[in-house]
Amino acid sequence: MNDIGFGLGLRHEHYEEIVETPGKVSWFEALSENYMVEGGMPLHWLDRFRRDYPIALHGVSMSIGSIDPLDQDYLRDLKRLIERVQPLWVSDHLCFTGLRGINLHDLLPLPYTEEALDHVAERVMRVQDHLGRRLVLENVSSYVTYAASELTEWEFIAALAQRADCEVLLDVNNVFVSAFNHEFDPKDFLRGIPRERVRQFHLAGHTNNGSHIVDTHDHPIVAGVWELYAEAVRLFPGVPTMIERDANIPPYAELLAELDVARGIAAEATRQAVEPRAAAE
Amino acid sequence: MSGANTGSLADLQRAFQDYVLQSGDGFTGAVRDTTKADRTTLLDVYRDGYALRLIEVLTIDYPGVLAMAGAADFDHMARAYIAAHPSRHPNARWVGRHLAEFLASTPPYDGSPAAVEMARFEWALGEAFDSPDREPVGADAIMSVPPEAWETISFAPLPSLRRLAFAFDVPTSWQRREEVEPGALEVAALAEPVEWVIWRPELMTNFRSLEADEAAMLEALIAGRPFPALCEALLEHVEEDQAPARAAGLLRSWVEEGMIGAFSH
Repeated sequence: MNDIGFGLGLRHEHYEEIVETPGKVSWFEALSENYMVEGGMPLHWLDRFRRDYPIALHGVSMSIGSIDPLDQDYLRDLKRLIERVQPLWVSDHLCFTGLRGINLHDLLPLPYTEEALDHVAERVMRVQDHLGRRLVLENVSSYVTYAASELTEWEFIAALAQRADCEVLLDVNNVFVSAFNHEFDPKDFLRGIPRERVRQFHLAGHTNNGSHIVDTHDHPIVAGVWELYAEAVRLFPGVPTMIERDANIPPYAELLAELDVARGIAAEATRQAVEPRAAAE
Repeated sequence: MSGANTGSLADLQRAFQDYVLQSGDGFTGAVRDTTKADRTTLLDVYRDGYALRLIEVLTIDYPGVLAMAGAADFDHMARAYIAAHPSRHPNARWVGRHLAEFLASTPPYDGSPAAVEMARFEWALGEAFDSPDREPVGADAIMSVPPEAWETISFAPLPSLRRLAFAFDVPTSWQRREEVEPGALEVAALAEPVEWVIWRPELMTNFRSLEADEAAMLEALIAGRPFPALCEALLEHVEEDQAPARAAGLLRSWVEEGMIGAFSH
């Protein structure tokens, strides 16, 4: 699975350009909910791109950490989409998106407590049983620190991956954002994640308000995130990488150029990671 | 919420959601300031982001309502709508499904019936956009129906097909939504209500107005009534001896336009 390479988020603004310039990326990540519809243009395009590219499914609404019951209709629709797409993997976010039947359409962080860990692990295992595959869970950007947290975020993720036998979508930008907002060392986060559990990297831009950073996905990737990405590649070599852009979406060619930067950084970081090892042998 | 900073997972989630929905501030006791920002500033990233995200969805789904209302009034209306109808579906695509009903029943928006009709029209366009795919029945299939079957044959429209009656010039005005400054889209009242049909034969959504007799016959077709009853539906508008030919002509045009999804006899 580690030879998948470099991908981009599939966005309707780029559909025509992707057709006109084929083969520039190795895979696409499609937002599951955008295609959990009955028919029409969205599924037409998804099927079309699936013929030419591997696709990973990335959801925003599973609400795996919520105290509400798992949404069985959502899981049924997701399973139907999985059968249609035959994705590389299926990811969502380690968060909750609402409760009491309300969806806030936001990725609200969980308190990193033993109680939350038990709760999420049990739900991840049930979802994995339902889907018949491992779930890949992404670390979210967060803005508030719970006083109740007993574990660091990376301790929580590592324990969850072990306990529920799930995998990790390591969003490097989110690590950077949360490290700034919660005042921890982002490299401690990376070092705390078990190497064998990381299935995918995310990269994205954000908005720095000085006192806090918001994960807006509307800017190019900043230098600090690129530096952290190089460290992530050294720690987790060969993990597939993609760039998310969800607002202020530039032409496809601009994102392809940004993806080339990722390729260059990954190649250099991989070389640096291999050379000391070779020298030692 | 008492003791929020040591609350259970359920207590914390409820308090967090209450904060986002502006129905309680107890969650401030459960989170910390940082050296750079106070907790209220940080919490408001979620509170502000919630409204902005849903308003953006409504802006995309209702460009005609936005063109009528202008950005400031639309924003105000959208916030009232979101408060009255928080999203109850995991897909944000459904956030705006109650907007027309909300506008029709909530002062002061109920004083703008043209905006209510615009919302109804735009939601129907959205429904057609990603409704279930079905290949329209072709003319050849209809031609091969044996003559005796026309006594019992009935039809079903495509799943995307919607019939809407407007007292205002909504679809025509909607086509000018990007040509005017936000807030400047005028939607005139019509002398008589006009029925429109929306449908998606392949990937592109179509809409057009219906003649009065055509609307009556289409209503009967959607109800699943057999062909003789479709002819009867025309009798308010055409002479009895002209009804079968008119019905056959309308049916042919609907088939050619790709509105018919199935038939049985």
